[in-house]
Amino acid sequence: MSEEITSSLKSNFPASITGIVSEDKNFSLTAKKEEFCEMLSWLKDSGFDHLSDVTCVDFIEEKEFEVIYHLWSHTRKLRGAVKVRIPRESPSIRSVVDLWAGAQIHERENHEMFGINFDGNPNLSPLFLEDWEEIPPFRKDFNSREYVKKKYYGGE
Amino acid sequence: MSISKPFSIVKHLFKKPMTLAFPFEALEPVTDYRGRQVLDLERCVGCGTCAWICPNEAIEIVEYNGRKYPKIHLGKCCFCGLCAEYCPSEALKMTAEAMISMFNKAEAVYGPDKLSGKAK
Amino acid sequence: MEENVLEKEIFFPTMLVPFGPQHPASGHFHAMLKCDGEQVVELIPYPGYLHRGFEKLMEYRLHVQNSMLVDRICVLDPFANEMGYANVVEKAVGVEAPEKGKFIRTIMAELGRILSHITWIGVLSMALGLDSGTRIAWGDREKIIRLNEIATGGRIYPCFFVPGGVRRGFPEGFKEKALKVLDYLEKQLNLYDNLVFQNKTVHVRLERVGVFDSKEAAALGATGPNLRACGIDTDVRRDEPYDAYPEADFKAVTMKEGDGYARALCRRGEISESISMVRQLLEKMPRGKIRIKELALAKAPVGDAHFCCESARGELCFYMVSDGTNKPYRVKVRGPSFSHTLSEFPYLVRGASIADVPAIYWSLDPCPSDMDR
Repeated sequence: MSEEITSSLKSNFPASITGIVSEDKNFSLTAKKEEFCEMLSWLKDSGFDHLSDVTCVDFIEEKEFEVIYHLWSHTRKLRGAVKVRIPRESPSIRSVVDLWAGAQIHERENHEMFGINFDGNPNLSPLFLEDWEEIPPFRKDFNSREYVKKKYYGGE
Repeated sequence: MSISKPFSIVKHLFKKPMTLAFPFEALEPVTDYRGRQVLDLERCVGCGTCAWICPNEAIEIVEYNGRKYPKIHLGKCCFCGLCAEYCPSEALKMTAEAMISMFNKAEAVYGPDKLSGKAK
Repeated sequence: MEENVLEKEIFFPTMLVPFGPQHPASGHFHAMLKCDGEQVVELIPYPGYLHRGFEKLMEYRLHVQNSMLVDRICVLDPFANEMGYANVVEKAVGVEAPEKGKFIRTIMAELGRILSHITWIGVLSMALGLDSGTRIAWGDREKIIRLNEIATGGRIYPCFFVPGGVRRGFPEGFKEKALKVLDYLEKQLNLYDNLVFQNKTVHVRLERVGVFDSKEAAALGATGPNLRACGIDTDVRRDEPYDAYPEADFKAVTMKEGDGYARALCRRGEISESISMVRQLLEKMPRGKIRIKELALAKAPVGDAHFCCESARGELCFYMVSDGTNKPYRVKVRGPSFSHTLSEFPYLVRGASIADVPAIYWSLDPCPSDMDR
């Protein structure tokens, strides 16, 4: 069932897809940063009207962040995932708030926890943390145990 | 929809209450409840598996009477029961004792003497 | 005195009213309501009161240790979180739990759904001012929490599902006790119908309050009963079945209006469906092993896995990336209340009066610990 979606995607965006995995009821593909917004817009028009989640993974050894968009279609009952890699130095990616209004809050959380800038998001102010002065906390080079010792136990 | 139907709960005024008058009445303890741990000093071999598997690092292995035994910090313990489940000699078991309270944090650390019931 | 008040209203037309986090009408969620007189102009949320950083904590622990931690993500429906984590690890390693373990997991998950919905009836009654509903609901919760205690050893944090199955089987006599509790709850549902759902006051407070249509709901990320009340028929238990759900015969309750009362009726219908599902599964329970013990400390291969389950509030998703060791590299938890509280609630509250704000909030059934993680 997801075959028709993946084959249409391969024919419409031949240069952008770098890896595709397709099973009966779900698929997952890796896309290049340049055309991923057009790909998500095409997927939304083909019935993927629910954006479940916007996630980020920190691959510190490869010096890249991977941003993953999980989608679900209420009409076709199919699940899909689109993964985009961006460089770890000054990470920045286009926002998808004009496609799904609910994406705004997911991007705001990822901005706070990983430090990724989403161009076009109207509000990227801090969400959970107050007066945070260290590096974004979910990155792999942030050591939470050292931070707790330094801040609350005076470094012992 | 009706305005009078909700008043049917007035008959609950004449029924037995759902609550129990604690401490004069209490719920019966169930078997295999996950309360405080109890240690069998003869069976324990001092392997340290309980300290390794504890999710909150609440167990420390200490010397007592010439052998190695666990010492549990009940303030950090989340009473999940993994230490008792993975103990290879079944020396550590969970009891139904859940009413534990003290006035200072130091008393929350149960060494092998308190865990086995040998302390006064 | 009156002239000063009038002067203030001319020069400062909007006021900020704090909503929570230490208030019975707001759970543990803090927001500021910008009000123009009695009408709310905007809601500014300040989440983070219950942020504990689970996703970072889970990177330092083994899979079986994480199963003990995952209960705390959504306290009101603990079995759904455990189900999600156990299944995502099994998917990553590529091994399935044995049949009997799957049946036990499904039965306890449905009991957890009934518990969560009864808690919701209690809290909704408290927010609307109908205190009797709260007291009776809290007494009924105790029956299911007692079943949790008998089966798992823990009342609120069961720590029961692990990757590979469940930690222990049902003890002797559990099936009879569970059936008695289900019979009692079915009779109590008549009482809740008389007191809450057919109550004219509750109906007037929830009808046509917090309305959105199916397009807006889908765009804002609604899932679970909130979405089914708008007419979209999506239920993860039926569309992507997992564990023993293919063996149970149930239907997803949908309504059309999309207002607070429709959401309330969806949850009321789900309680009846869950009671019937637990009865069917207790009859069909197979024999056999309950757990594959090696999976708890297994090393997942390099790659990722994604699993969605249906908690009482909506779609709860776990996404796990592993690097070949026995600890996960990254775990992401998508709580259903994240979208409900931070996308839908500010959207619905615009233009409502202050007295409607708790009614809208609790008709969406949010769980602040799910939102903050």
